[in-house]
Amino acid sequence: MTQGISMMIRSSIGRKWIAAITGLLMIGFVVVHMLGNLQMFAGTPDKINQYAHLLKSMPGVLWAFRLGLIAATGLHIWATLSLARENRMAKPQGYAVAGRKSRLQVTLTSATMVISGSIILGFVIFHLLHFTVQMVDRSYLSMQTVSGGVTMPDVYRMVITGFSNPWISGFYLLAMALLFSHLRHGAASVFQTLGVRDRHLAKIIGTGAWILAVALFLGFAAIPIAVLTGALRP
Amino acid sequence: MKLHLRVWRQKSKESGGHFETYEAEGLNPNMSFLEMLDVVNDRLTQEGKEPIAFDHDCREGICGSCAMAINGEPHGPNKGATTCQVYLRSFKDGETLTVEPWRAKAFPVLKDLVTDRSAFDRIIQAGGFVSVNTGQAPDANAMPIGKEEAEKAFDAAHCIGCGACVAACRNGSAMLFAAAKVSHLGLLPQGQPERAERVRKMVEAMDAAGFGNCSNQYACEAVCPKEISADWIARMNRDYALSLAQKL
Repeated sequence: MTQGISMMIRSSIGRKWIAAITGLLMIGFVVVHMLGNLQMFAGTPDKINQYAHLLKSMPGVLWAFRLGLIAATGLHIWATLSLARENRMAKPQGYAVAGRKSRLQVTLTSATMVISGSIILGFVIFHLLHFTVQMVDRSYLSMQTVSGGVTMPDVYRMVITGFSNPWISGFYLLAMALLFSHLRHGAASVFQTLGVRDRHLAKIIGTGAWILAVALFLGFAAIPIAVLTGALRP
Repeated sequence: MKLHLRVWRQKSKESGGHFETYEAEGLNPNMSFLEMLDVVNDRLTQEGKEPIAFDHDCREGICGSCAMAINGEPHGPNKGATTCQVYLRSFKDGETLTVEPWRAKAFPVLKDLVTDRSAFDRIIQAGGFVSVNTGQAPDANAMPIGKEEAEKAFDAAHCIGCGACVAACRNGSAMLFAAAKVSHLGLLPQGQPERAERVRKMVEAMDAAGFGNCSNQYACEAVCPKEISADWIARMNRDYALSLAQKL
């Protein structure tokens, strides 16, 4: 038992598996998160407010998910950074003349995974301080609404207030663009690492990862854009 | 035809290296890249200078010795060809070519374009074999193997261990090599008894040699002179996980 786990932690492929599985869990989370957010467009603030209220009414489940996600994020960062550090050490010197990028299949998104991932992490921390801990704008603490006879936090108004600030919207859009970049390579890589890829599947997986990344970007970006253009109003 | 060469010159493993420029003139476009280096070396020898050291053996694309990067691409610009099978007609007359040894920590430069690729031998020694009792050669077809399986195993077995995959990889990863070797034995009945142990031991040897890790960009597959598919890496990842699962 312990031998298998220690080999998993030490070996290259073991850590790739950890990165892939935790990545898959986080992809599952962002997909659900985006679908939840789209309730902003339900036509009434009640929909998303009641959804948020429902989640908060199950603190046990909520915290189980939160702790699971924190663990997955931590493992993902540890595994990928330790692999990336070894990668740098394994290639101390590059070629004086770089080969053709088209031939060597290097893409901007695949070559910048650590950078895109780091900025996304920075964004997630800010995003949690903003909407969950509500430290960025203390007025959120007093934003309440009554829906169906129950007093609950007015999430709809928080979102509109937050994204009315172009800096916050801008950072959000940048982070979502980087999430697209990260997942375009990452979502396809998951399959290779988990051993589900062959020449027939490769095209489907590559296209599927691209569609997923685009859909997530559009789904998340729609809200700040709608707020900034006035399509979503308080 | 004429070529301007910038060639990496390095006296020994310990010494630093630098580029030197050479004019290769009076070349025939149908010469191979190595024959062109022979011409340059003949002249250097006649001038009393040290010829450019490079590995070569069969010169027919099957031994995997002729390791060098031409303009940053292992084995040069052609698809599915070793350096010895690259002909000067692939280049423009008067073109400048930068010739370098494989660049990877696990392949230290010994001299000029010659690198120490014994890290690959250590991976093979760790498990790239099947243990059989010696004796008479077995009868042909004594062990039935399906045509499909035989072809697949042979695709993986095409790997000549030249190291271009490591040389092209921005992480210096040997996963395409290891995957080809793990898979070619793992697909055949003779390879089954040691299959789980083999992948564990070969990956361990690969990690210990200081190779990097695959980040799924497949430069390896693009430059491989035998066009080994990166799909084998997926298969090795799967085999490795199954092998670890036995230890859980």
